[in-house]
Amino acid sequence: MAITGKREKTLLRVASIPMALLALSCLYPIYFAINNALKTDKNYILNRFSVVTDPTFNNFVNAWNRSHLGDYFWNSLVCTAGAVTLLLIVSSLAGFAFAMLRFPYRKLLFMVILASLMIPVQVVLVPFYRTIIALDLVNTRIGLIISYTAFFLPFCVYLMTAFYSGLPRELVEAARMDGAKLIQIWWHVMLPLGKPALITLGILNTLYCWNDVLISLLVLQKNRTLMVGIAALKGEYTTNIPLLMAGIVIAAAPIVIIYIVFQRRIVNGIATGAVKG
Amino acid sequence: MGSPAEKRIAFLFIAPAILLVAIFRIFPLGWGFVLSFFDSDGMTKFNFIGFGNYVAIAHDSAFRDSLENTLILIATLPVWVALPMTLAILIHQGVPGGKFFRAVYFFPAVLSSVIIGSIFNMVLRFDGSLNAMLKAIGLIPVDWLGSGGTALFVLFSVQLWSTFGMSLLIFLAGLSTVPKELTEAARLDGAKPLQIWWHVIIPVLRPIIEFVGVVTTIGALTSMFGLIYVLTAGGPGTSTALPEFLIWLEQGKMNQPGYAAAISMLLFAVMAGLAYLQIRIMSRNTNL
Repeated sequence: MAITGKREKTLLRVASIPMALLALSCLYPIYFAINNALKTDKNYILNRFSVVTDPTFNNFVNAWNRSHLGDYFWNSLVCTAGAVTLLLIVSSLAGFAFAMLRFPYRKLLFMVILASLMIPVQVVLVPFYRTIIALDLVNTRIGLIISYTAFFLPFCVYLMTAFYSGLPRELVEAARMDGAKLIQIWWHVMLPLGKPALITLGILNTLYCWNDVLISLLVLQKNRTLMVGIAALKGEYTTNIPLLMAGIVIAAAPIVIIYIVFQRRIVNGIATGAVKG
Repeated sequence: MGSPAEKRIAFLFIAPAILLVAIFRIFPLGWGFVLSFFDSDGMTKFNFIGFGNYVAIAHDSAFRDSLENTLILIATLPVWVALPMTLAILIHQGVPGGKFFRAVYFFPAVLSSVIIGSIFNMVLRFDGSLNAMLKAIGLIPVDWLGSGGTALFVLFSVQLWSTFGMSLLIFLAGLSTVPKELTEAARLDGAKPLQIWWHVIIPVLRPIIEFVGVVTTIGALTSMFGLIYVLTAGGPGTSTALPEFLIWLEQGKMNQPGYAAAISMLLFAVMAGLAYLQIRIMSRNTNL
């Protein structure tokens, strides 16, 4: 702000105190998790609040091997990577068509995809589950990948369409008459030009897929994803809190790294939904 | 209208998106709608009972709990909007440490609700850290998650805490569109800071306030499953269940999918209204 009055400066300085406390509270859970993950179970019960003095990594080893978080981690990784890849391909194809090509029922079909925002997984829980069973996709990774894609798709299509409609139409004019050329244009022109939007969507959907519980709880009932594994661990080992905290650190680590590296893109991506970006 | 080749390719390009949405969302919605009028075990028994399931819902105390909780949540909506808005304005006005606050406030929003729920469960359970601390300083421990009143309060607070950073970002994006001349002119006219907030900044933010209100309500109705699942499991009893969690409980029983489907339809009716508002705001931005 250019001109700041004295009164305003004081107001801001006073406000920064509760704001700093709030900021501390946002960091506290991760400190709580890391600090206690490094304690032994006995040490946790005796010294709850103290900072760990003789850190042990046994909890991580046990969580990874004995509690199968290693398997779940791999599972989450494959499903997240698969779903994000599929989401980006499907949404950039659709966004390209909606934004640049001319065909009947264009607006209607776009609205159908947007309108499916009205149907979150909770609303179709029972029949969705039955559909997954009927298609023989239950307990398969491909089933989870397809489900994630179906449920996270509308915003992606929306954003890609918005992004591509900002590009000059001349890019496709020449190829209008030739179908094969349009596919080449998608691959050689649209994908590279769409990079900023695709990266944003890639990061956001990585978060959504990695963090999901409900969809994976339905689709993968034998071979769990990491978040379902953590939820189960919380149920099974209520007494062994350090083990659970080690699991949480393992599950949160990739997200924390992504957040630190891509903070600006995440922030901008969230804002685009609300304000013209 | 485009050439035949263009039309063919266009349909080919949108086909995967349309098919995915149709098979996994629209078709199940229709199926659920039909199912909601049947007394069914999902396998062999399909008895048409008209509005029977809906009548049963009206007498179901678990559903009443979830509805009541939803209404309480909606009644607290002003807090969910005003808190991030106030913080966003403060950051925008250049509060000391603003950049740091912005980065840190958003941090809980990127963590899975399972992670946040588990940590808060460990802190707030009866034998958890908070009570240990209360005891250490001579206060009486509270069963935060075990009694209906506090459990609901805790659940909503944790959800608010973990999502306010998201709303704050949306407000900051909106604030960057507030013309500087407006606030400076008001200041030159001798307006006090709070007057400027109330009469200049907040009116410009109105569309953002609407958007955050809608998105927060949608989030509260559809993205609290993970948190409820690990933090309170809907309990004690069903005192912290929201409709989405109730649907999960009902489908888990599996002997009455028609009943779960009927609750789903009610949730859909609410979602449809909210999503309509959201889509209207979003499609303002695409100019298709």
